[in-house]
Amino acid sequence: MWTTKTFLTKTKRGNILKIVREHYLRDDLLCGSAACNICPHKDDEFVLASNPESICALFEYPHYLVLDTNVVLHQMDVLEEDALTNVIILQTVLEEVKHQNTAIFQRLLEIIGNKKRKFYSFVNEHHKDTYIERGPGEKPNDRNDRAIRKAASWYASHLSANNVGGQFPKIVLLTDDEGNRKIAQEEGIVCCSVKDYIENVNGFVGLIDKLSKNVIPESCSKDALYPAHLTPTQIHSGIRNGKLFQGTFHASRDNFLEGTVSVNGYEKPILLQGHIGINRAVDGDMVAVEIFPEEEWRKPSDIVLEDKADDPGDLLEEEAVLLNTAKPADNNKDEITPTGKVVGIIRRKWRQYCGILMPSKFPGATRHLFTPAEKRIPRVRIETRQSDILAAQRILVALDSWPRNSRYPLGHFVRALGPIGDKDAENEVILLEHDVPHARFSEAVLACLPPNDWTIPEEEIKKRVDLRSICICSVDPPGCTDIDDALHARPIEGTTADGLVKYEVGVHIADVTYFVRPNTALDKEAAARSTTVYLVDKRIDMVPDLLSSNLCSLRGGEERLAFSCVWEIDENANVLSTKFHKSVIKSAAAMTYEEAQIAIDDSARQDQIASSLRVLNALAKKLKRKRLDNGALLLASPEIRFQVDSETHDPIEVQAKKIVDTNSMVEEFMLLANVSVAEKLAAEYPQCALLRRHPAPPPANFTTFLKAAMQQGFEIDVSTNKSFSASLDKAQIPDRPFFNTLLRIMATRCMQQAVYFSSGTKMQDEFYHYGLACPIYTHFTSPIRRYADVIVHRLLAACIGEDVTHASLLDTKQADSICDNLNYRHRQAQYAGRASVALNTHILFKNRVEIEAAVVLSVKRNALQVLIPKYGLEGPLYLPSDKFTYNEEEHFQICNGVVLKTFDELTVRLSLDSTNLQHRKLVFQLVEPHIPGFSYVPEQAMDVDAKTEEKKEEKVEAKKRKEARDTKVKKKAKK
Amino acid sequence: MPGPDLLSSQGLRLDGRRPNELRRIKCKLGVFTQPDGSAYLEQGNTKVLAAVYGPHQAAKSKSSTDGVVVNCQYSTATFSTGERKNRPRGDRKSQEMSMHLRQALTAAIKTELYPRSQIDIYVEVLQADGGAYCAGVNAATLALIDAGIPLRAYACACSASMAWRAGQPEPLLDVGHVEEAAGGVVLTVAALPNTGSIALLEMSHRLHMDYFDVVLSRAMQGCRDIEIILDRAVRDHLAEGWTKQDIVTI
Amino acid sequence: MTGHVSIRLASERVNHSVSSSNELPRFYTPGEVITGMQDFMRGHGTYAEDDSLKASVAGVMQKVNKLICIRPLKSRYVGEIGDVVVGRVLEVQQRRWKVETNSRLDSVLQLSAVNLPGGELRRRSAEDEQMMRKHLQEGDLISAEVQSVFSDGSLSLHTRSLKYGKLPQGTLMKVFPSLVKRRKNHFHNLPCGVSIIIGNNGFIWLSPQKQDVLYEGNKDEIEEYDLQPVNRSDRETMARVKNCIAALVASKMMLDDTSIMFAYEESLKYPSVKDMLDPEAMLDIAFLAQHRINNAIEE
Repeated sequence: MWTTKTFLTKTKRGNILKIVREHYLRDDLLCGSAACNICPHKDDEFVLASNPESICALFEYPHYLVLDTNVVLHQMDVLEEDALTNVIILQTVLEEVKHQNTAIFQRLLEIIGNKKRKFYSFVNEHHKDTYIERGPGEKPNDRNDRAIRKAASWYASHLSANNVGGQFPKIVLLTDDEGNRKIAQEEGIVCCSVKDYIENVNGFVGLIDKLSKNVIPESCSKDALYPAHLTPTQIHSGIRNGKLFQGTFHASRDNFLEGTVSVNGYEKPILLQGHIGINRAVDGDMVAVEIFPEEEWRKPSDIVLEDKADDPGDLLEEEAVLLNTAKPADNNKDEITPTGKVVGIIRRKWRQYCGILMPSKFPGATRHLFTPAEKRIPRVRIETRQSDILAAQRILVALDSWPRNSRYPLGHFVRALGPIGDKDAENEVILLEHDVPHARFSEAVLACLPPNDWTIPEEEIKKRVDLRSICICSVDPPGCTDIDDALHARPIEGTTADGLVKYEVGVHIADVTYFVRPNTALDKEAAARSTTVYLVDKRIDMVPDLLSSNLCSLRGGEERLAFSCVWEIDENANVLSTKFHKSVIKSAAAMTYEEAQIAIDDSARQDQIASSLRVLNALAKKLKRKRLDNGALLLASPEIRFQVDSETHDPIEVQAKKIVDTNSMVEEFMLLANVSVAEKLAAEYPQCALLRRHPAPPPANFTTFLKAAMQQGFEIDVSTNKSFSASLDKAQIPDRPFFNTLLRIMATRCMQQAVYFSSGTKMQDEFYHYGLACPIYTHFTSPIRRYADVIVHRLLAACIGEDVTHASLLDTKQADSICDNLNYRHRQAQYAGRASVALNTHILFKNRVEIEAAVVLSVKRNALQVLIPKYGLEGPLYLPSDKFTYNEEEHFQICNGVVLKTFDELTVRLSLDSTNLQHRKLVFQLVEPHIPGFSYVPEQAMDVDAKTEEKKEEKVEAKKRKEARDTKVKKKAKK
Repeated sequence: MPGPDLLSSQGLRLDGRRPNELRRIKCKLGVFTQPDGSAYLEQGNTKVLAAVYGPHQAAKSKSSTDGVVVNCQYSTATFSTGERKNRPRGDRKSQEMSMHLRQALTAAIKTELYPRSQIDIYVEVLQADGGAYCAGVNAATLALIDAGIPLRAYACACSASMAWRAGQPEPLLDVGHVEEAAGGVVLTVAALPNTGSIALLEMSHRLHMDYFDVVLSRAMQGCRDIEIILDRAVRDHLAEGWTKQDIVTI
Repeated sequence: MTGHVSIRLASERVNHSVSSSNELPRFYTPGEVITGMQDFMRGHGTYAEDDSLKASVAGVMQKVNKLICIRPLKSRYVGEIGDVVVGRVLEVQQRRWKVETNSRLDSVLQLSAVNLPGGELRRRSAEDEQMMRKHLQEGDLISAEVQSVFSDGSLSLHTRSLKYGKLPQGTLMKVFPSLVKRRKNHFHNLPCGVSIIIGNNGFIWLSPQKQDVLYEGNKDEIEEYDLQPVNRSDRETMARVKNCIAALVASKMMLDDTSIMFAYEESLKYPSVKDMLDPEAMLDIAFLAQHRINNAIEE
């Protein structure tokens, strides 16, 4: 049935190895064409149509396309259009693509998987007639080209072999490699370049726009603006002998001419400045950098710089602004950062970017600039003939190349998302930019759902503990439809040894895993989404709506399946025993926080719900006290809530979230449940328990924070979380109630991110959760909106024998990869949520101007970073350098004797600048303290604020914006 | 998932086999004249030699009145792997393999026939490309048959691993080195396919219960396939050896 | 040292089979069911399981009345009473020698089963026991006859005949026992001047022919003769015979005086003994010998 052939490969791994691998050649591989009557196809194995219609004017007869590797790699967007069908993808091509670019490989697989596209992948490497051996001295590339030609000509003869009538499809080879094309023509294979082919395609408008620009080789130095990148071998040897370093390039958000690369061997990230220093690296790329000698090291500039609005052509503008300021003015070693330049790109991490087109000023031009929404991505030059239509749209663009003679990278248009300013289009941008999977649930996923009128089957009730008679209630924010938790508490008979009253307290979590069975399409979709994403006016569900807001949601008065965690607790909130079981519950009431609070406070109410809430509330306070005594941190992040117009879904008012006692009541019990579950899992699964840890922040994170606090007269002890918490509590300024919150906001930004991990990948002492001050933690209580909880549910159910385990659940490696995805999605969801808040803030300010109190978070060379506590808004307040003098050492700005420094309170005017549609931004203008000629003077005379700035003359250190600023430490059991 | 790319989307493995296919097996009996029985076996690029001495008088210390003492020695040539590596005879790995060989072969040999005797089986791996143990067992079986030692049935060994194709578990038969190195579990089964009994089961990693049966049945299928191949080789060998004897005896 | 060394690739190996148009017998392989019926007797190479008789070795079936045996292509020597064997002394024990005879257990040569110097049957004294090593010591080769078979399959030998006993100068060759043809006589004086003992156990002893006179001579003379160097031509002839046997064995041909003599005669076309080690030459010799055997049978 098969023959065998071995071939030799040489690899370098220190030594030269001769590797002999088997390679079986088969005679049972099908050609996949319906026009073939040689291969023994079964009916469902025909992929290619028997009489494919030609859409190309160059080839007026039916034909199949055979693609060369370079076509797939560069023209993926063309292929993704529905235009080209009946395409043969050779295995040679598939493997080369996989090797060179996994993202494109995945997209290609997607197309092949789509039956309508009629893409057939032919295993030419294992076919006995199309396999070729690499000749002596032949380059792998040439060999692959030859293999492709061989397969193409085999197809041609194979299809013609038994079709005497001449009614058979021909083969057209598409390749952009001129050499290959030439040889193919000599061998009698019909071939064509992609450009020629696509330009002659009829009936698909816009296909040409998607053509990727031809790549100009790096060696071409004509009109070069940028130095050439090194070749891969040069980079490789450079890294090997320690001259070069590799790392991921991160562009600065504030300054488009600055970026950093973290490399091994240097504690600080390497600073890259200017066009030449960055040398065409784009955020996320893996680059090779050369580090300058120490005397040329600089410090990061502290100016905010944006790319100019108009297209200056292929020129690099003067970088004097940047370079002047960047000179090491002092010997302050703290700020000097290793500096270097990019000498080569190891791997591009380009994706598709959302943004808007900035049409060229010349009418009829086809070359336009595209501004991505993400500030860290440079502008892109694209070619399109539809600029009139696209100018008012949000569009998606892919990067193709960045030749040396182009100021901007070259790209091509992918698709339009919708009109600018349109809510849906804007949301789409947010979701795309944060890589949030948001497509509608597929048929396969929906097929996994129970019917709409599903009720709990009798036998399922029998298997579970019946808690329907117990008074259980849920407490959630108003408008919440995905209720994943409910609580109950009741006194039980007997007392503890010390004579304390005992309570039974239960936390009941929606039993999502009953519906989401492992390895189903539904499970895979949920795992890929990992979390429900909350935008201001939209929720991207992790599981379909039927589950999230109906069958799983623990609605009041309805029987639901639950996973219960029940404790016996004495009145001092000591846990006496814990048990877990699956149950059936019937929630007595689904309340909002406020309703619950009223029920507790209203002493007239003596019903079961009220009394159990009171017990819960009392216990929660004791639990919280204990937790804080243990050193748990109370941190703050500005959280706001939009009041949304019910008709237009536009925000009409914004307010800080209200916190009542019941918030923390629910939170405490969720924490307790999570900790209880975590302990159980860690004991049962030393290798694959899914846990959540929060590493203690490195002391270096705190330095600037501590200095700033010191200026305000507070000594913060950060040695342990306990002392940190205690000293934060003490740092109060009586007449500035917001100061403590501000301090906590700043403290939050010093924190590390909490992450999911698998217990097999870390040591026991690394499990610690710093923010909560507990040795072990996980997420159990929100399976409707977090996939981590789903996994935890499965693990727990398996270890208490209520469910079967399945293989992937217990696989440490797999658990680890799940954790990576969870962490990534979790982070992206947070960013997306924030972006949505920002978007709505912009909408809110579209037609209004406000004058608000603000606080200075940090001082930059040309701006102040200010926070508006009322809206939780943050942004730069630009200071013109002709008026203000920046004191670099003391970090303050001074103008006419008015000093502005960190922690200062100001009054600012807020308005929306819509001149740039792409980056509509809030403009902050200084109102108070009044600086003549600069400050905004309100039309009506403002009564001078009584509390003028306390002008302490202490040194003020500027705060650097930290990555950690995005840390959100305060764990909320509820949204 | 471990090793999702062990199977291509067309359902072929890295070397072009389908999941249920063995590697090419070539074997030859009676390659030496000195030992009582010997065999050479190639399973893909894995190449092993087996030699059998005995049954002969057992050393006094080992001698057993219950049956023959089977003594196995598994060793790996220094040049058998990609990188040359000096392996001292009797290192831990070889010792373990020797034990496993012994277990599988003792199950096949009718040990009760030869009390106080001893059979020495030497297996030398000339080239290791995955599944050296399996090839060793198969070669040793041939060598035992060549030596005319009574066996209950052929002892065959085969390995199987797990891969996923389109989300479905698909066990791989006769795991090669590349697939072994890609991680994932390797289940090695030594069995007497004729009787359906399993002489040895060994698993490299943890495998979930759910998949165990499919992997095991795939490996057993491999053992049965190997038995057919070995049987054919034995018959060819007999045909070659027998003719002349008969002519002379007439 | 100089000299030609010929190393061949495995792929160039010569196929030693001597062509034959004979129909193949039915082969059985281990585990194969021979018959399902129970009214047969279980012989060598078979075992009963699940109500059927199965083969335990690979070979052909031999049926004697109701006794079914499977004879393997080759195996260790299974001794029968009266067999002539050549063996090597392994151990000197109390009143007996342990002898290696290619059997699956070591054979025993009782002190009482040897002719001690003096020829006549005489009482074995304690002195004799102490002198055993003088008579036969470890490593000595002997020819002997199987006297009896013990219950565990091990053999008891005797040398109580003048033709048996310690073997002096000569060459030992080991072949598979199954290749040795059972004959009345296993001692041959080949016409080429070599005497040969074809042991049933597959050990073959080649030695220069002795003058018959010496058989009658006294012990000292014999010993003296044994110590004399063998002349070159005799040694060459022995080597030639040995290579002939090797050629026959390589082609799996049965060994007896006829086949060896035929092979010897055919080998004479190779003037140098060394040349006979060439695989093609071996095949040639075996083939021609086979041809002559076939002719002899036809006649």
